[in-house]
Amino acid sequence: MTLATTVLAGAKDRVLPPSIPFRYFGAAVLFHPGLWLLVLIDAPETVGFSGGTGLSLAALHILTLGVLATTAMGAALQLLPVATRQAMPAHWPARLGFWLMVPGTLMVGHGMATATGWAMALGGAMAATALAMLGVLIAINLMRARDLGLVAAHGQVAIFSLFALLVLGLLLVFNFAHGFLPDHRAVARAHVILAGYGFMGMLVAGFSQILVPMFALAASPDRTLGRAGLWLAVLALALGVAGALGGVNALVIAAIVAGLAATAAHLTAMARVMRKRMRKRLGLSFVMIRVAWVLLPLSLTIGLLDQLGLLGERGGTLFVFVLFAGWLLTMLLGVLQRILPFLATMHPAGDGGRMPTLSQLTAEGPLKVATICHLAALAVSTAGIATGQELVLRLGASVGLAGAIAFAVFAAPIFWRLMRRRSRASNPENQTSG
Amino acid sequence: MMDYMRSINRMLHDEHMATIALLERIESTLAAHRKAPPDAKAPDIAAVLRDLVASVEADISVHFAFEQDELFTRLSEAGDTGMTSILQEEHDVILPLGEQVSGLARTAIDSGFTEESWAEFRRLSAELVERMIAHIQKEEMGMLAALEEILDEDADMAVMMRYAELR
Repeated sequence: MTLATTVLAGAKDRVLPPSIPFRYFGAAVLFHPGLWLLVLIDAPETVGFSGGTGLSLAALHILTLGVLATTAMGAALQLLPVATRQAMPAHWPARLGFWLMVPGTLMVGHGMATATGWAMALGGAMAATALAMLGVLIAINLMRARDLGLVAAHGQVAIFSLFALLVLGLLLVFNFAHGFLPDHRAVARAHVILAGYGFMGMLVAGFSQILVPMFALAASPDRTLGRAGLWLAVLALALGVAGALGGVNALVIAAIVAGLAATAAHLTAMARVMRKRMRKRLGLSFVMIRVAWVLLPLSLTIGLLDQLGLLGERGGTLFVFVLFAGWLLTMLLGVLQRILPFLATMHPAGDGGRMPTLSQLTAEGPLKVATICHLAALAVSTAGIATGQELVLRLGASVGLAGAIAFAVFAAPIFWRLMRRRSRASNPENQTSG
Repeated sequence: MMDYMRSINRMLHDEHMATIALLERIESTLAAHRKAPPDAKAPDIAAVLRDLVASVEADISVHFAFEQDELFTRLSEAGDTGMTSILQEEHDVILPLGEQVSGLARTAIDSGFTEESWAEFRRLSAELVERMIAHIQKEEMGMLAALEEILDEDADMAVMMRYAELR
């Protein structure tokens, strides 16, 4: 089942109202500038970040919970209910999840920035509850799926990783106040692996099986390579988490090698899709997606060099930055800039006008600025972290902030159009008067 | 995109491939002549214009009519009314747009482009390319996938026969 099938083929009861997925996408768009703003403010600490509370940890969680997880929730909620051709039992869990996730993320950010234990605990519990609800919804949908193959298998690994990372995350939050964990850093490393490569990474790899062929008009990815990549990734996750928790560097190194092999299988499959595509001009979104494909193995390589002790004291920060702000954020921004107008064209404006084209919903100028700024911000910020130069990191964060604002300017008309549609739908008189 | 089991899907897919190839050629022509109109008698431009007219007047209109009469009906009966209403709505926009572009192309074949007619042709054919590609994406990834599920061998043969009659 494909994105277009899921969106197109869904009867009314299988398609969520656009307001549900788009509220998650909207939150991601708004949290995005917050990430760079926090890095800009806290550059001196971020260049040498080695754990503990503070603005750097808050920035990391604004990125992971506020931008990455909310985007994943929006995408999963849009696609999965109809991918399985199974109606969701109710819409309220998706709505409630949003109202837990957004305030929870803000509270976690506040708690981490100010080292306020109760805020971290309460916010963490709210965000964890939202993510757990999403995990249950996805798990139910995948259990009902008859023939989703690789997509479902990746989803199942992502959900397992999600629940594991939530448990570890809550342990870490409560440990800040009560200090009961024997090795906080070891649990934090396992939490990072599960969040980056487990939950988000497997969702990205799974949805790539659908989205990349659809955008490029190409054949489905090679299933043998897909299965090989999946099992290697599962092996890598198991070794990585065991190695991190047990403090066994050799296991972590073996995990990274397995992760690189999984990456090679995944990227080879994607490269074959791209070679055989019918659509040649793929636009800016695929610039971002291609860069993300480079950043995935780069993140693992940096992790490997760090494990081997070749990157000095800033190796860990560099790894986390390239993993989350590099690979995952770049990939999701690339997908979002394509999927937002695509999904919006599926919903008539309600004013009797004909469906808009993608280009009518795509503000090219702001999108170009957003893309250039994001890529420049990544390069400059990476250099700033690698060299320990806070001014360079500040420059990178400033450019990233400009890019995030430009992305919001690109997205705003799409949200405005959907809000106008919703307003017309709720007030039919407007349809004739306007 | 899937490996199709049904003959009708393989045939529609081949037609989509041919249309995408033509659309890519039109896009390249538009990109190469952003400011001044091209010479419509130049062999490469004339070929693109002729192929465009033939595609709109023969292939696309028959392709759309067949889908509406034979396939959308079956999909709607199978419960996929959401998909068919979106695709039908797109047909309703694309076909008149294609006829407009085809008319401009015919005129250009006979008497060339002026600044004004080229600007009009550029604007409308760019919209046609964009709408057609998005439409084919939806059909390739949505409609054909759904047809794989709902058509059995007999139904596949029946719709193939009907398509052969129309062509």
